[in-house]
Amino acid sequence: MKNKYLDCLALFGVGGAHPGGLQLTKRILSREKIDKTKTILDAGCGTGQTSAYIAEKYQCHVTSLDTNKLMLDKARKRFLSLQLPIEVKHGSTENLPFDGELFDFILSESVISFTDVPLSLQEFNRVLKPEGVLFAIEMVQEKPIAKKELSSLLTFYGIPRLLTESEWCNLLKKSGFKHVKVEKDLQQIDEIDLELGADFTLSEDIDGNYFEILEKHQHLTEVYKDVLGFRVFRCCK
Amino acid sequence: MSVGQYHALCQRYRGRAVEIRTRDGRRHRGIIQRVSNNRVFIQPLGRNRNLGGFGYGYGYGYGGFGYGLALGAIVGLALLPFFFW
Repeated sequence: MKNKYLDCLALFGVGGAHPGGLQLTKRILSREKIDKTKTILDAGCGTGQTSAYIAEKYQCHVTSLDTNKLMLDKARKRFLSLQLPIEVKHGSTENLPFDGELFDFILSESVISFTDVPLSLQEFNRVLKPEGVLFAIEMVQEKPIAKKELSSLLTFYGIPRLLTESEWCNLLKKSGFKHVKVEKDLQQIDEIDLELGADFTLSEDIDGNYFEILEKHQHLTEVYKDVLGFRVFRCCK
Repeated sequence: MSVGQYHALCQRYRGRAVEIRTRDGRRHRGIIQRVSNNRVFIQPLGRNRNLGGFGYGYGYGYGGFGYGLALGAIVGLALLPFFFW
């Protein structure tokens, strides 16, 4: 399935393309016990900003997966230039190219939302160790909107459906995650600092249409800022 | 801020989306590509026309990958609050 929004992120090479950016990722990870022996899957790694941070900071085994080949190329270049021993895999979260019970941690930073949610959750559950933790930073619907508006949002972002916090929790439980802790990030989105300013690795000769997509995204974010929110879900089996 | 300070700031913000205001009152929105001794090169966010808010100053050399702005002409520089899903 072609997703123009995700293609746009890939062409612009947006690093940390998820709510909260790298700063939120750092904060989440800082509370966990991560050492060299741990295995971490950065599912939907994009240009690899998070993976690179983890590998540098914790020196553990990092695997970076993405379905978008252009993103993976940019991630590979990043890891190479930083000389980080990160395993890069092409694949979908709906059908993970891994054996079962392999990872101590799985990070999904605004990734599941763009996929078949129950399928991805089931797969994450399968590859996670019994004591492992899945972190999902995902989009939620904060309040109801008209059907027409909803469908235009879904079409633009190429997402199958927009879930509320409790719908996410239900689906997580159904997929075998018995303990789910939800956190609402209190950080102001428009609070700017260097880490929140998105990091771009532009492709050359980007088609003008993609600039329009970027602009429409900016517009929608502004218009629907009370409707579209996000949560951090900490999920254990 | 001095040219030297803008130079340092532009270096730090390489690869980031910024809005730069120049002395002539124009606003330039784009991603910082590189910085030379006296210029900053940005890839404009927007096309060859003014798309609500993403405008860039015409009259500046824009060909291929980015265009240059004289550091001495900069009066303001801010990171753009991009937010992505």
